[in-house]
Amino acid sequence: MVKEFNILITGVGGQGVILMSELLGKAAVTDGLRVRGSEILGMAVRGGSVTSAIRIGDEVYGPLIPTGKCNALVGMEPSEALRNIAYLSKSSRVILNTAVTIPFTVSIGESTYPSLEEMLAKLGKASDMIIQLDAAQLAQEAGNRLTTNIVMLGALFGTGQLPIKIATIKESIQARFPAKVAPVNIKAFDLGYETCQQAVK
Amino acid sequence: MKELTVSSDAPGQRLFVLGNEAIARGAIEAGVQIAAAYPGTPSSEILETLAGVAKELDMYVEWSTNEKVAFEVALAASICGVRAMASMKHVGVNVAHDPLMTASYIGAKGGLVLLSADDPSAWSSQNEQDNRYIAEQGYIPVLEPSSVQEAKEMMADAFKLSEQFGQLFMLRSVTRIGHARSDITLGEISRERRKGQFIKDRTRLVYTPREARINKPLMLERFEKIKKAVNTLPYNQLKLASGAKLGIIACGLSYSYALEAVNWLGIKDKVSILKIGTPHPLPEELVIKLLTSVKEVLVAEELDPFVELHVKAIVGERNMPVKIHGEDLLTRIGELSTRKVTEAIAKLTKTKTPVDFANIDKLEQETAPLLPWRPPALCPGCPHRASHYAVRVASRRVARDYGKEIEPIYPGDIGCYALGYNPPQEASDTIICMGGSFGIASGLARVVDAPIVAHLGDSTFFHAGIPPLVNAVYNKANITMVIMDNSATAMTGFQPHPGTGYTAMGEETVLLKPEEIARACGVKFVEVVDPFNLKEATETIEKAIRFEGPAVVVSRRLCAIIEQREKKKRKEEVIPYRVDQSKCNEKCNACIELLGCPAIIKEGTKTVIDSSLCTGCGVCAQVCPYKAIVLE
Ligand SMILES: Cc1ncc(C[n+]2csc(CCOP(=O)(O)OP(=O)(O)O)c2C)c(N)n1
Ligand code: SF4
Ligand code: SF4
Repeated sequence: MVKEFNILITGVGGQGVILMSELLGKAAVTDGLRVRGSEILGMAVRGGSVTSAIRIGDEVYGPLIPTGKCNALVGMEPSEALRNIAYLSKSSRVILNTAVTIPFTVSIGESTYPSLEEMLAKLGKASDMIIQLDAAQLAQEAGNRLTTNIVMLGALFGTGQLPIKIATIKESIQARFPAKVAPVNIKAFDLGYETCQQAVK
Repeated sequence: MKELTVSSDAPGQRLFVLGNEAIARGAIEAGVQIAAAYPGTPSSEILETLAGVAKELDMYVEWSTNEKVAFEVALAASICGVRAMASMKHVGVNVAHDPLMTASYIGAKGGLVLLSADDPSAWSSQNEQDNRYIAEQGYIPVLEPSSVQEAKEMMADAFKLSEQFGQLFMLRSVTRIGHARSDITLGEISRERRKGQFIKDRTRLVYTPREARINKPLMLERFEKIKKAVNTLPYNQLKLASGAKLGIIACGLSYSYALEAVNWLGIKDKVSILKIGTPHPLPEELVIKLLTSVKEVLVAEELDPFVELHVKAIVGERNMPVKIHGEDLLTRIGELSTRKVTEAIAKLTKTKTPVDFANIDKLEQETAPLLPWRPPALCPGCPHRASHYAVRVASRRVARDYGKEIEPIYPGDIGCYALGYNPPQEASDTIICMGGSFGIASGLARVVDAPIVAHLGDSTFFHAGIPPLVNAVYNKANITMVIMDNSATAMTGFQPHPGTGYTAMGEETVLLKPEEIARACGVKFVEVVDPFNLKEATETIEKAIRFEGPAVVVSRRLCAIIEQREKKKRKEEVIPYRVDQSKCNEKCNACIELLGCPAIIKEGTKTVIDSSLCTGCGVCAQVCPYKAIVLE
């Protein structure tokens, strides 16, 4: 029985955050697990911050992850991961795509973007386990940059913590994409998975 | 095996869905025949889901021009004995308010359900009004779900209850229901399809003062019956813990937070909990049972202290020795969370919180100054960006003639173009409600001496822009009204509207043109421009502003997102622009500071265009003083 496992996916509109949570949710249901989740839709097309929560387990009721109770945070963009630091605890796993997306407010001089070191230092204060990867690079290796989110999904499973079976999530990836691009996505998943497994060791 | 969907006739099967899909499924299970809505976050996916299966399930589904009409369409079906619903965001109910208040006098024949999607925290809204107060004003019973599964069940039941008691019901959803995801268990689908029958009944349907006086007492009678019945509805549940001093009354989604909070604090068996699924009317018998068994009560509910006030009234009326807490420990601002409820209960029970929240807050506060500001922005290639630019240049030119210090005023409206209120466009001086731009402009024209250039979108024009346009003509307001026509209700998800030529169910229909409506309304200056031709657009808008009397400019270009999708379908290539570094004066930054297109970025001191984002609209090339922006 799974009591409570909380996954928070953070990123920027257009990075495929919602698709990741749909895949996770479907797979969890297939495995007979209870799932709750929530996201802010609507602004996703227009480059704003996007977060999506997926919560699995029999003691989960609300759609939102309580402060400090995130088990795994998937950061599609470092500053967006940092924005959600309040959900982390020392034992949270943070899986971080190190590729930054600089908002236009920086170009017009309305805000500044921190260095990766600064961001990692802050995240390190909240959590003891930060796994960094260049997901876009791995996606390229898999054969398509657009699979960055699937690389990150693979990395999430690479932590070895998820209550969902790997075969099930792969099935839901397979079912979600047209036959032509499904293999690239599976490859992307495997690359993310292996990279994370290496890092965890 | 066929894939399971929201229209599958597969009772007992589990499906992972968005809350709004679950609500639509509830309506499908109830055999709803008529569904009407106007889009609005967080409600739009309900009608979208129904529209997708309407033909297969023999339902009629429409996007109405606004919420008032949507509700009237549903009301008419109910009058004729057919199950019907209208769904809308919370502020949409304001638009439907007029028929709503009298609908309650009429009562329901075919089950009639109004779905109000409230938005605590105003994630995508102009306010966070609590629509339970509107329901109370109209004696409309309210169901408020605690989970996505319950939202589906309540929606299905609401139609039955509505018929059983002959009264219209409201389902109050919130963002974290409609935009939550969950597994749900499917129920049976009713295949009953009724033929509508209009029975002439003056006393029930023709509201002169006589009928108002006849029907109000009947409505109150119906409401009294509902008041009794809610005590035994499964949505209200009382769990008394023996010896408990603290009771929690948790309404709707707050119940899920309360459950998590008592588990987290490890005091599950030490507090009594009353789950409320009908905040209006309250299950008074259950409330009294709880009140007589505890010393203190915490009321958890989202937004205003609605349940709290009613509970306090019960306590006051009966002089009960119970202290009621609610907004003193929680808040009427923003949505609730497990944390907020946990802290409130911890305080009342003098329990230590399971997590050191202060520490987390400290870390969060230290982090805040590091974070870049990432507001949603107009997409690359968005036509609104060009329209805003043209409006501002034209308005400033005219303002100079008014005097040195005079600034043009830009009454704005609600739609994607509102995203241009941020720098660098700063294109809106007021944003209040749909259609508000034109009305506000008419008022401003009476009291200030400056160019007044209002703008709204095409969907907004049909929704609430025509009456204020007529007003400007009738009352001779000297204002300029720009209609930013992108052939979509883009902000809420690209829904069709009367200016797009097709309906919710995908059928072709007449395509109404705002310029023809403006002319028919008596506007003497009406021009149509293409915003991507900046020079022409600016000159035309300038003429419109200089025109004595109300003037209309329709700025027409398809939404860039739709345009890109269509190009992809047609396998047409997008040719991006690039910055010719040999011509670019790196310090000028005009393209960035005037337009703020997300595709134009600084790489060190260099200005470059991200070719993966650029749509090739060419607007930046027109503002570059060095002619440094060229086609790839
Ligand atoms: C009364 C009311 N109903 C619905 C909404 C939700 N809403 C916000 S923007 C918008 C659409 C605006 O469409 P349009 O004016 O065509 O502008 P676009 O987003 O296409 O640029 C809607 C329906 C609202 N804010 N108020
Ligand atoms: S969705 Fe369309 S109208 Fe809205 S900002 Fe993007 S391009 Fe502009
Ligand atoms: S042409 Fe210029 S303004 Fe248009 S999308 Fe490309 S970079 Fe943006």
